[in-house]
Amino acid sequence: MSSPFPENAAQHEAFVQLYVKHEAAVFSFVLAMVSHTADAEDIVQRASMTMWRCFDKFELGTNFRAWAFQIAKNEVLNHLSKIKRDRHVFSEKLIGLLADRAEEQAENLDARRRALDSCVEKLPADESEIVKGCYREGSTIRSFAEQSGETANKVYKQLNRIRRRLQKCIERQLGIEEVAS
Amino acid sequence: MIDAELQDWIDKSLNETATEDDAVALEKRLLADSEACDHYLNAVNLHSSLRRRFSAEVERVSLPRRKFQLGFAIAASLALIAGLISFWLIPNPPIAAITQVVGGYGDSGKAFRMGELVKSGPLKISRGLVRLDFLNDARITIEGPAEIEVMDEMRVVLHRGVVTATIPESAIGFVVDTATTHVVDLGTSFGVSVSDEGLTNVCVFDGEVEVSSSDNPNGRLLTQGQAVQTTKDSGTVDSVAYNTTQFENAWPVNSGVLQTTGSMRFVSPGPDFHPGNFEDNEHIVVFPERREFVPDEVIRVDMVDPGQYAKSRFKDKPTLLPEQRLTSYLLQLNAYPDGKNPNRRRSVRGQITFAQPIVGVIMANRLLKESEAIFGIPNVDYPGARMIEARPEGDQRQGFDSVILAADRRTLIIELRENPGNLDQFRVLVEAE
Repeated sequence: MSSPFPENAAQHEAFVQLYVKHEAAVFSFVLAMVSHTADAEDIVQRASMTMWRCFDKFELGTNFRAWAFQIAKNEVLNHLSKIKRDRHVFSEKLIGLLADRAEEQAENLDARRRALDSCVEKLPADESEIVKGCYREGSTIRSFAEQSGETANKVYKQLNRIRRRLQKCIERQLGIEEVAS
Repeated sequence: MIDAELQDWIDKSLNETATEDDAVALEKRLLADSEACDHYLNAVNLHSSLRRRFSAEVERVSLPRRKFQLGFAIAASLALIAGLISFWLIPNPPIAAITQVVGGYGDSGKAFRMGELVKSGPLKISRGLVRLDFLNDARITIEGPAEIEVMDEMRVVLHRGVVTATIPESAIGFVVDTATTHVVDLGTSFGVSVSDEGLTNVCVFDGEVEVSSSDNPNGRLLTQGQAVQTTKDSGTVDSVAYNTTQFENAWPVNSGVLQTTGSMRFVSPGPDFHPGNFEDNEHIVVFPERREFVPDEVIRVDMVDPGQYAKSRFKDKPTLLPEQRLTSYLLQLNAYPDGKNPNRRRSVRGQITFAQPIVGVIMANRLLKESEAIFGIPNVDYPGARMIEARPEGDQRQGFDSVILAADRRTLIIELRENPGNLDQFRVLVEAE
């Protein structure tokens, strides 16, 4: 279904282009604040709708990512104020700090995401299977462990190791000095 | 400095296994240490990228070559993302709002709420009444069990159930379709029902509609007081006796009356309407009068507060606040001498609940006359003397009229004593919607 108004259709296209370009950054931004994938997905979806609704207020040519982060941050705060406090959630202060930091680091984070692709390609087959199994749509680490007959604990450990290996690979690719450990 | 402790908190956070204490400790550390913050953001960034990358991936078991597989996966994930985005972003703004709910529940048992916005799409009502007001001011009330599809603000498709529509000038041309019948409004109020057997009934309460079907493609004009039906198989539009029974729950809701119980009947006045002529021994009849109207005059009434109506002196009668937007209803019991027992004296009881608060009730003959000029339907001859006889204080005898305004300020509990040849009437002023 396309919009009956050509003006609106052009605007829609401009929005989709910008949104697709920055969606990954927005998702990562939100996930850092709520530490919960399913919540982050909901929040990003709501934020994307808000962005589309308010898109006429966005000035083309200015920083879409900063604008999108701002809207996403508001959705996060909105979400955190509404959910039951049955687990610890980050304070508004930390949300603000992370938002500022993510904004500053945005270029770096973009570069890291791009570098990830070739690093994933280099994973040995067994590790590649674990990553796929855990991150597949609808899958969780726990459900993957159950399927493959492993204990969840073992899979957590394997995954932690794989992520660290990928992180190192990304840093090598980007020529970043390894952080001393 | 990235130590094992921080790394452990971050790992747990990503795996969603962090305890309350872990999360508190991580927060404390992040607040104090910007290097830890960056490290955390990098870790989440990797984690979220993996999620995005693999959650969009399709099963590729049957595909032969790795290179090809990857290309296919990327194409598939792009298609998926594009699909998701266009799904979220189709400009599908709400076109109607739920403005009344009387015990209305959806198919999963979820209660409908007033103020909910409705977009185009299917709507299932398992029971109760739900009223939708469209942006163009078309109003429909749906009575469950019903399945309806809201196409746009000018058209709905009724698969099953009962719908009554009140269509103002701004929405003339509003369409209710069923499997067999196409009903076009020409400025009116009407009802359409579809039974489980696929029988479509159309009933015109007021004004005109055009009804067409496969065998009557040119349409047939139907005016107030007429009814037709179309069976699933015949495809012809057949006249039937005018009978509003199946619409009597949904129809009043269009006019701001949520519920009537007991011997109450809601009637929409047509062009030939004359309350005095409307004889009904069995029911207290409710006529909607002027809608959404701000009177210039001072309005004097008999009752404003909850309680039972008692006679009062003219100078003690309360007046309404100025500048209020009001909708008026006339309630009447017109008993006429009837067959075998012309002198019988029965009581007729009923209860009526309005959607909006009642701001005043007018009983006294003089006040009825005064308010008729303001709220009455133009060109209608209202009758002369009318009488609601309240029980005088301390009087224990039977046989008086009783009107009680309930504490919710929306409900009237009424008991009127039949008095053949006499007309019991009173006017209820309600806040406009």
